[in-house]
Amino acid sequence: MLTADPEVFAAISHPARRRMLDLLVEADCPVNAIAANFDMSRPAVSQHLRILLEAGLVTERRYGRERRYHLTPERLSPVRDWLAHYERFWDDRFSRLKRHLERSDKR
Amino acid sequence: MTDAIRRELKFPQPPEAVWRALTNSAALAEWMYPNDFEPRVGHHFTFRVPPKPHLEDGLIVQCEVLKCVPPSELVFTWVVSNFLNTRVSYRLEADGDGTRVLFEHTGFEHKGARTGAEYGWNVMHGQLSEALTSQRSSR
Repeated sequence: MLTADPEVFAAISHPARRRMLDLLVEADCPVNAIAANFDMSRPAVSQHLRILLEAGLVTERRYGRERRYHLTPERLSPVRDWLAHYERFWDDRFSRLKRHLERSDKR
Repeated sequence: MTDAIRRELKFPQPPEAVWRALTNSAALAEWMYPNDFEPRVGHHFTFRVPPKPHLEDGLIVQCEVLKCVPPSELVFTWVVSNFLNTRVSYRLEADGDGTRVLFEHTGFEHKGARTGAEYGWNVMHGQLSEALTSQRSSR
């Protein structure tokens, strides 16, 4: 059911990386501009960006002497297959709900 | 293409018992996830989905109660970062001694793909801004 690249899911599982992607929706950004939005060290920011690069969610583009990060939105399309993900999620939760109600009966 | 999940669930317990399981924070923690739910319209709460192997930091689902009519109707938003802006609803009906629950999770973004727009990204962001604006104006 869920055929999306696990690398992509791992990449977007971190809130800081999701915020980085949000920033890059607005415009291509150099690493400094990205880092300015986060209360973390530059190496930590670079590490997150490397994970996004490796997942193919961002690419680097040259602007003169500067390199900027560019969002690759098409890589996110499998992630949007939320329906398949949530179909399983809810069926799993509802079987827990059923068991919860059975246990409550016995109390 | 469907853009919703719908389930009809039947429970032998009466609507009041099912309602309790849906709206009591401790009960929700047992079958859903840790949360700070309160059964009143306008209450903002989160479900904290714990980390899993492929979800290293877990996930915070941000919700707001939109409708709360005991023991028959509960509607809340279900928002995950900028990626998902959806809505969950439960309708409870007495069914003999038990309860029939009509569940819906709606608002999934397949519109972009359907119209061939660029992966729906712009659509999604437009809707997010709208959602944020309406949230602000409704506070």
